[in-house]
Amino acid sequence: MQNLLKTLAWIAVAVLGAAALGAIALHRGEALNSTWFVIAAVCCYLVAYRLYSAFISAKLLALDDTRATPAERRDDGRDFVPTNKWVLFGHHFAAIAGPGPLVGPTLAAQFGYLPGTLWLVAGAAFAGCVQDFIILFCSIRRDGKSLGEMAREEVSRRGGFVAQVAVLAILVILLGVVALVVVNALKSSPWATFTLAMTIPIAILIGLYLRYLRPGRVLEASAIGVALVVFVVVAGQWVADSPSWAAAFTLSGVALCFALVAYGFAASALPVWLLLAPRDYLSAFIKAGAIFSLAAGILVVRPHVLMPPLTRFIDGSGPVFAGKIFPFCFITIACGAISGFHSLISSGTTPKMILREGHARFIGYGAMLLESFVGVMAMVAACAMTPGIYFAINSPAAIVGSTPAAAAATISNWGYQLTGQTMTDLARSVGEQTLLNRAGGAPSLAVGMAQIFSSTIGGERLLGIWYHFAIMFEALFILTVLDAGTRVGRFMIQELGGRVWKPFARTSWTPGILLSSALIVGAWGYFLYQGVVDPLGGINSLWPLFGIANQLLAAVALVVATTILMKMDRLRWIWVTLVPTAWLVTITMTASYQKIFDANPRIGFLSYANVLAAQIAAGKIPADKLAETQRLIFNQRLDAVVTVVLAAMVLVLIIEALFQWHALLTRRREHPLHEVPYVATQWPADFTGVAHGTAQGDD
Amino acid sequence: MARLVAISGRVFQPLWQALRDWCGDSAYDRYLQAMRRQRDAALLSRKAFYLEQLQRRYSRPSRCC
Repeated sequence: MQNLLKTLAWIAVAVLGAAALGAIALHRGEALNSTWFVIAAVCCYLVAYRLYSAFISAKLLALDDTRATPAERRDDGRDFVPTNKWVLFGHHFAAIAGPGPLVGPTLAAQFGYLPGTLWLVAGAAFAGCVQDFIILFCSIRRDGKSLGEMAREEVSRRGGFVAQVAVLAILVILLGVVALVVVNALKSSPWATFTLAMTIPIAILIGLYLRYLRPGRVLEASAIGVALVVFVVVAGQWVADSPSWAAAFTLSGVALCFALVAYGFAASALPVWLLLAPRDYLSAFIKAGAIFSLAAGILVVRPHVLMPPLTRFIDGSGPVFAGKIFPFCFITIACGAISGFHSLISSGTTPKMILREGHARFIGYGAMLLESFVGVMAMVAACAMTPGIYFAINSPAAIVGSTPAAAAATISNWGYQLTGQTMTDLARSVGEQTLLNRAGGAPSLAVGMAQIFSSTIGGERLLGIWYHFAIMFEALFILTVLDAGTRVGRFMIQELGGRVWKPFARTSWTPGILLSSALIVGAWGYFLYQGVVDPLGGINSLWPLFGIANQLLAAVALVVATTILMKMDRLRWIWVTLVPTAWLVTITMTASYQKIFDANPRIGFLSYANVLAAQIAAGKIPADKLAETQRLIFNQRLDAVVTVVLAAMVLVLIIEALFQWHALLTRRREHPLHEVPYVATQWPADFTGVAHGTAQGDD
Repeated sequence: MARLVAISGRVFQPLWQALRDWCGDSAYDRYLQAMRRQRDAALLSRKAFYLEQLQRRYSRPSRCC
């Protein structure tokens, strides 16, 4: 009887989800209420978790709760710490959720709300969660080994090297593009620039507190820090209102670019306790708070989605970034649907802290579902504003014009009504001089969030505070990605350099620290600068490059997972990883090809370079713009080369894997699985790792 | 009243502890527990443990996009 009731309840959830999806997909005419998005997403997630993840756990992976995890066998209180599954879920989620699921869906909203939302939900359920879950499982069975180590052991040495270099390449592009998002959010905005600049001394203050006054007391230090950050968000308004202070904090894109490069260098070279770690603590709390507030805001306000399901830009002529729905919608939304970078977290800290193998389902699959939900909320926030405003904020000046009147005329011409006065009034009400041409997703998401929040608390009066709170929250955790990523990149460069010259690998050797920091900062700084000076807005070329890189890493992770599953003789269910791998390889290779060779200069790097070269040859470029144009040509060709290298690396890995798979399937060779041998757990079945006091079975 | 305090304590104490575990506030306590489990003396002071932990945590990808 109970089983029957359960089955009926799950059928009801599935029917409700299908109905909500149907409402989203088939709705035309009046604006749709965002509650449908929440219902559709949540019901799909519940069904996917209940059925698909259970199937993967039982049939494909055969998770074994009687097997001791690395946290039990190697428990050292440092890396290997048995952790309650809810706490570890929080840890894992905080590590995987960065700016990607907020920015990607916001940019992809230019196609309308439908393609992005469907990809977020389906991509997560069938690809992203599967990758995170299976890589986590593989790493648990190998004492928490990293993706690179698993690729080397299970695929081939060359595969391991490719994975390592791919990670470094992705890191560089990722850092360049997220820094560009910050620059576009802060340029000519004294309020936002002041707020973000002040988070640096606040972080240092907390760093000193945690180092000297109260070592390791993270909660109390973070509480002080969060209070100070809220204060500087409010104080930013006073700075913006004071002509002399406002002038000091009004920076151009190029000036902000150099400021970020200097910051990245400092964060990488300075001791980690001084700046990087305290900023990370602050960012984690503010991130959790802002994401919960956004979810609560959407549930309370239930805004109407004003963007149509599909826009005219599905034909590839989008102003935010050029390219058709296939493949660019799937490239633009990487994080939130599937993100290769997650495989580094799933094979990093989490497998060393997991209590039971069975928890991998909840943590690996479940946390990614939650990230997908963050992506859906970002989509709702972006689509809840008038489409005209959305396009005015996110389109580069070269396409819509740089004055409110010109932008309004162009955008109205596309069929999305907008007046110049609307943009001027909106900018004034959020305390900005202008909101035009701020491609990158952060400002439009901040406007969306501010409109949702201010309908709950404060009304029009607090719109400016909410807007700057949202900008600060996004910029703060982008900077956290920036400094943590720069430091990791520095270590990778030192490790690679150490193969050539040993002393370089010593992480405490000052010249090595300075040189490797300069190399990594110089690399992403170059991409950032290139994006800042690009007349097409930078995001147009760099975000797809980042999406391609991130999805390629996902393909690498899934190839490693498929190889391991083949070695485990799980051929019957191998499509679980093989299908998403094939899909990712298809979209990334198509996108790479189009980004390099497409005849449309807004899509193809080479054709844009050729158009510019032809303009120079025809004498159409004024003498003072000649050097700038030549640099632009060089940058386009560089981007083409980077795309070729990324695609080639993945092809190498896939070819390696195909040989390996062939040998495995024809049983020509024995391929040992590099799993740690089975050890039975000593913990009682009800052990939950409750952290407080002494854990059960402790003494 | 006393009962109310006891009940709310039972509810909030695990939540409070979960928050401490999540943000790393209780990392040193967990280290001491692990050392005790292994019948080992704690090797590091709170400050030394904090610094060593940060070095390790930020030498590998810890924050995603």
